[in-house]
Amino acid sequence: MQLESLAIKNFKVLQNLHLKNIPPFAVFVGANGSGKSTLFDVFGFLCDSLNHNVRQALQKRGGFKEVVSRGHEEECISVELKLRMRLLDKDRLVTYLVEIGPDANGIPGVSREILRFKRQEFGAPYHFLDFSWGKGFAVFNEEDFDKLDENLDREHQDLESPSTLAIKGLGQFQRFRAASTIRALIENWHVSDFHISAAQGSVEAGFAEHLSTHGENLPLVAQYLYENHRAEFDNVLRTMERRIPGIKNVTASSTTDGRIVLKFQDGNFHDPFISRHVSDGTIKMFAYLLLLHDPTPHPLLCIEEPENQLYPSLLAELAEEFSSYSSNEAQVFVSTHSPDFLNGVELNSIFWLSKDKGFTNVYRAAEDENIVGLVNEGDLPGYLWKAGMFREADPVQ
Amino acid sequence: MTIVFLTEEKSMKVMLNEILPQILPMDIEFLILEHEGKSDLEKSIPRKLKGWKTPNTHFVVLRDNDGADCIQIKNRLVTICSQNGRPDTLVRIVCQELEAWFIGDLAAIDSADLVRNSRFKEMQGIAKFRDPDKIVNPKDKLRHLIPGYQAVSGARSISKHLNLNQNRSASFQTFVSGVQQLANNAAVI
Repeated sequence: MQLESLAIKNFKVLQNLHLKNIPPFAVFVGANGSGKSTLFDVFGFLCDSLNHNVRQALQKRGGFKEVVSRGHEEECISVELKLRMRLLDKDRLVTYLVEIGPDANGIPGVSREILRFKRQEFGAPYHFLDFSWGKGFAVFNEEDFDKLDENLDREHQDLESPSTLAIKGLGQFQRFRAASTIRALIENWHVSDFHISAAQGSVEAGFAEHLSTHGENLPLVAQYLYENHRAEFDNVLRTMERRIPGIKNVTASSTTDGRIVLKFQDGNFHDPFISRHVSDGTIKMFAYLLLLHDPTPHPLLCIEEPENQLYPSLLAELAEEFSSYSSNEAQVFVSTHSPDFLNGVELNSIFWLSKDKGFTNVYRAAEDENIVGLVNEGDLPGYLWKAGMFREADPVQ
Repeated sequence: MTIVFLTEEKSMKVMLNEILPQILPMDIEFLILEHEGKSDLEKSIPRKLKGWKTPNTHFVVLRDNDGADCIQIKNRLVTICSQNGRPDTLVRIVCQELEAWFIGDLAAIDSADLVRNSRFKEMQGIAKFRDPDKIVNPKDKLRHLIPGYQAVSGARSISKHLNLNQNRSASFQTFVSGVQQLANNAAVI
């Protein structure tokens, strides 16, 4: 999957933001409060809306009045994704639009939800799913692409509530393949909100292939990788050994009360340290390496400020690793305040956000001819950023 | 004695860390300072040369040519070093950038196993790989050979396998012999 464009309206500080031609690896810089976290929260919001419903997703963020942009309370929050993805055995550009607004009684719900894509090279895009306030239709013989529009079968559906997304309601039915593909995709997005303290603890024995949002299942993911993808796990260990002085081995072991705890072996001592007594940066580096060596990558990975707790000279290579993770199947979004990190990033991946009259604008480094010229002359992006070349990004002009 | 290497960026530092122990005798220490690109490096040279206190320290400046006139750049840097009281500084220009030194030793790229079972070394004799210093954008060329090539991690894996005596890059050979000579002179003194 590739998210090619993202258009957001009335979502907090993102009153009208349109990102186009998004690369597989995108890095965002910008002053505090310029909208970096809010941008990532759009993805979190969609995940929450899908896993629960729109009302709960809003509630978690303080309710509709807190989420809708100030001064635009009468309008809808709208998110439009253009995704290039494999759907019904062909690569297609799929548009998924969700609009959320208050109903006549002021209760928020999904005022419009559309899934559309072109069935052929040419011609107008066709709506495969079109819902408003919990009612609408979806096409269910989508695979029969040679049929004329009027011969496609539309099925009218009533959703559980106007707060439920149709891709959730219909996505569980195999006959609506487009809806279930989009649903599966969004469900597998990973918007990281890594808490070192959560990852440092022990966990109930169990099974986990992917790191959770807060990272509390870190020991289980380590165990999974060790038992099922040994070569990848050994790769992680070798990298840890190089980056964190002293670290020789990391093991996930069971405690007597049936929990799993991570143990870090320092080559200088006989007994390993349990994760609770290991430095924050060590835990974080280990978690990132597990995330980045995931044998089944997430279609979208969002990481905020990966530089925190890490030694600066490790960051350029970490940036390279995020870039390597990204591909046609996996996209990576990172926000950062670290010039060292940015020095490891290609210009085409760099964006900066800035606030104008209370709302966020986005700029692209590769569109600034001077920045392109200077990088071609041998300056590094992080250096140019510090020098003030990302003009709108700087808080003090 | 200590040799301080001033480099443009991290990938060069990573490469030097691998090959310098093979070039320098055990009793010569080295320190590699990385910079954030060309402007940062050039501004740093006078300060490092003037401010360095430890006696018996020699400097090596490494700058990418990136398609410019290498003789002109070298002369300019040599002048800067003389003006700052260190005419003995070794200035070496990388033509056109680090990755040309890797392309000059395709067998090393094969050994790094970045592409499974690659046999790039068989292409070393063909025109476009015979004289890597002439390649305008060697990093792009390397990315073409190795999809998803990353500058720092790539340098880390290839440098281990570089053969110091058999590299098709003239600027690599000039660099290695320059450093060897610097070390020999120090031994004589």
